[in-house]
Amino acid sequence: MSAATTASAAKGTVGPLAGMTVVELGEGTSAPFAAKLLGDYGAEVVKVERPGGDPSRQRGPFPGGKPDPEASGLFHYLNTNKLGVTLDPGTEAGRATLDRLAARADVFVTNLPAAALSEAGVAPAVLRARHPRLIIASISPFGTDGPWAERHGDELVTYAMGGLAYSTPGMPDASEDLLREPPLHPAAFVAETLAGMGAATGTMAAFLTRGRTNEGCHVEVSQQAAVAAMQQRDFTTTSYLGGTYNRLTNPTIFGRMPNFYLPCKDGYITLAAPMDHQWDRVVEAMGSPDWAKTPAFNTVGARGENWRDLRERLKAWTATLTGEQLFALAGKLRLPLFPFYPLRRLEASEHARVRASFIDVSINGHKARMPAGPLMMRASPWSLRRPAPRLGEHTRTVLADWLGEAP
Amino acid sequence: MNVTAKPLPLEGVRVLDLGQFIAMPFCTQWLGWLGAEVIVIESRAHMTGRKAPPFTSGKEGDPNASGYFNFLYGAKKSCTIDLTKDAGRELVRRIAAKVDVMVDNFSTGVLEKLGLGYDVIQKVNPNIIMLSCGAFGRSGPMAGAMGFHSAVNLFSGVADVTGYADSHPRLMGGVLPDPMAGGYGAFAIMAALHHRNKTGQGQFIDMGMYEVMLALIPEAVLDLTMNDRDPVRAGNRDRVKAPHGIYPCGEDDRWIAISVDGEAEWAAFCKATGHAQWQSDPRFASAAARHANADALDEAVSGWTRLHAQADATETLQAAGIAAGPVLRTDELLGHPQLRARGMVVSSDHPVAGRFEQLGLPWRMDSVGVSYRRAPMLGEHTREICIGLVGMSAAEFAALEAEGVLS
Repeated sequence: MSAATTASAAKGTVGPLAGMTVVELGEGTSAPFAAKLLGDYGAEVVKVERPGGDPSRQRGPFPGGKPDPEASGLFHYLNTNKLGVTLDPGTEAGRATLDRLAARADVFVTNLPAAALSEAGVAPAVLRARHPRLIIASISPFGTDGPWAERHGDELVTYAMGGLAYSTPGMPDASEDLLREPPLHPAAFVAETLAGMGAATGTMAAFLTRGRTNEGCHVEVSQQAAVAAMQQRDFTTTSYLGGTYNRLTNPTIFGRMPNFYLPCKDGYITLAAPMDHQWDRVVEAMGSPDWAKTPAFNTVGARGENWRDLRERLKAWTATLTGEQLFALAGKLRLPLFPFYPLRRLEASEHARVRASFIDVSINGHKARMPAGPLMMRASPWSLRRPAPRLGEHTRTVLADWLGEAP
Repeated sequence: MNVTAKPLPLEGVRVLDLGQFIAMPFCTQWLGWLGAEVIVIESRAHMTGRKAPPFTSGKEGDPNASGYFNFLYGAKKSCTIDLTKDAGRELVRRIAAKVDVMVDNFSTGVLEKLGLGYDVIQKVNPNIIMLSCGAFGRSGPMAGAMGFHSAVNLFSGVADVTGYADSHPRLMGGVLPDPMAGGYGAFAIMAALHHRNKTGQGQFIDMGMYEVMLALIPEAVLDLTMNDRDPVRAGNRDRVKAPHGIYPCGEDDRWIAISVDGEAEWAAFCKATGHAQWQSDPRFASAAARHANADALDEAVSGWTRLHAQADATETLQAAGIAAGPVLRTDELLGHPQLRARGMVVSSDHPVAGRFEQLGLPWRMDSVGVSYRRAPMLGEHTREICIGLVGMSAAEFAALEAEGVLS
């Protein structure tokens, strides 16, 4: 463990999953994130990398922008609390070691393609038969059967095929022009993170079951489905009313107004005041202008009908005030109004400091901060016990400790 | 009804659900699908989602016909208690004494005002696991601020990485912070159940929705904190892959997501689209060149996609080994052959609402069961919970019913 790593999270605590053992054969975000969740909450995770290492080592961001496979920010975030082992599953010795590690583990997490898993001798069906108590969590773009099973998909494609791109920007934000503003994907591994979250949650379900039945399980995750499953609200609309959300402001689908994303003097705010009593507070906050009391705006129905005009009038008001001024008014009047925080402002905020939303780390001697564990479990908190491993850092230790092989 | 004969992960686990809107109802629906007995406390005066549209056609306003409710309360039990009455709140404490898990996502402080905060509940049930979820969490100076998914998007930094090139921050579709927090919550609760199985110890879990969303953007957080660089919004472009985007197809408002990784795929892409000359075009000759000329590249790619139907472009690129897929709308997802083939579309027959379809869990388990059941009618299980679980006498039940405490 690097002495340079500091952690503000509770030290010496035991997470809820202490005692669980996990082998990860993962690359990129999805499977590494699943194993990270288990590891952050106490499991002992052995990350197996093929020669050359996890491609996220090449992705950065790097300190000073200088590529270094030991200093990729993304890799560091995704692989904290893991021991790092390298082996070559193309060799018989590598395959044998991998299988012996799996035999020692409670959980095996992977997102390698089916062909690579077969080649490495760890196809889920093979592992399942050989190690009946093992829980295998496998992630693939579309799942292992069905007409899309063999197709090519990545973060962007599974996000789009999970439905989230079509509805982004989403309510109360909106495109002004459907053709010039295409469906949008955030610059983030959303689909992969959701797939990893699904894999970790499915793993916990199987792990709790195994406590009673002593039987392992194959938890098989589709990344497309992991995205799609998040869209409960939109499915409700589709299923009950037909039609679908699109990127335009469309009060006939999402109802009462105002519910807008608006520019203010120094940024943006959202304002949701769909109910009459909330509208009254908006009017009060605006200083009770005469227009607000006219028949064009003084009923729910009228505000829905005249929403374009309403939005312009609200813009004219919000543009005169800063986000903080508006937020202060909202606090006084109990209005659901919230300003945009650039990431820099969130990171520097007192709220994030008090909650320890970010944790200090050191990456090759460079100070940095990472998102912390997102859940404060008071009796069994998450902890940062070790930084992400250097390539092959723990190969000898793990072979000795887990497999009893002489160094 | 889709009840399997396999063991259910949360069989025997009882959950008291005080969830509102989407986040926690989504969480407890996953727990219910995994076999937990979920008891929803509802009030006829302040109904949980049952007043929200969409409704089954012809049954507008019928509390048993709300799609909003029926899609988030599957596999749960409805217990109707008036929380404005002392006796009602006392009854909730009696139920809390009999459960393993309790969840809420009221505004911060509401649960305490109701006399149902962790400090009180812990006294009647020392080993309970309580998950309390707020947009900003349950601690810190902003714990009391109001916020829906839009505020979580704007505060969490996710909006800062979502947007068209040189444009302002945008909001994601699909109210993602809610279901994502719900999924995380299910993971945390199962981890806490495992901890309790081992140690006997329950606990309080404080979940801030913005912290859940932070898990999506480690790259932006590290670039900011390590290199002092703010996020740059660049539409659908990627830092490494190019082309990487969502492009218009021949049909109106139809789009295709295309992601090309590395030189071999770029060569395959050029060949498949009939533009072999792009490969020797100095503007596109390397990934670095393609990034430097991203506008021209996207223009060239769009020029090709516009000439083709969405399905044809997808087939052509997939056949060439390129990650490409249609931008799907929610009304297409429920019928999507891939999700249907994997059994992820589940239906429920509801005596009032009729039969509707939604998506179930996004993963499959070979040795573990799931239990998809319809949402309850208003107050359907009040008697069962009060007499069967709490141990109330028929006389006491009748008296409380007469006083309007329960119904």
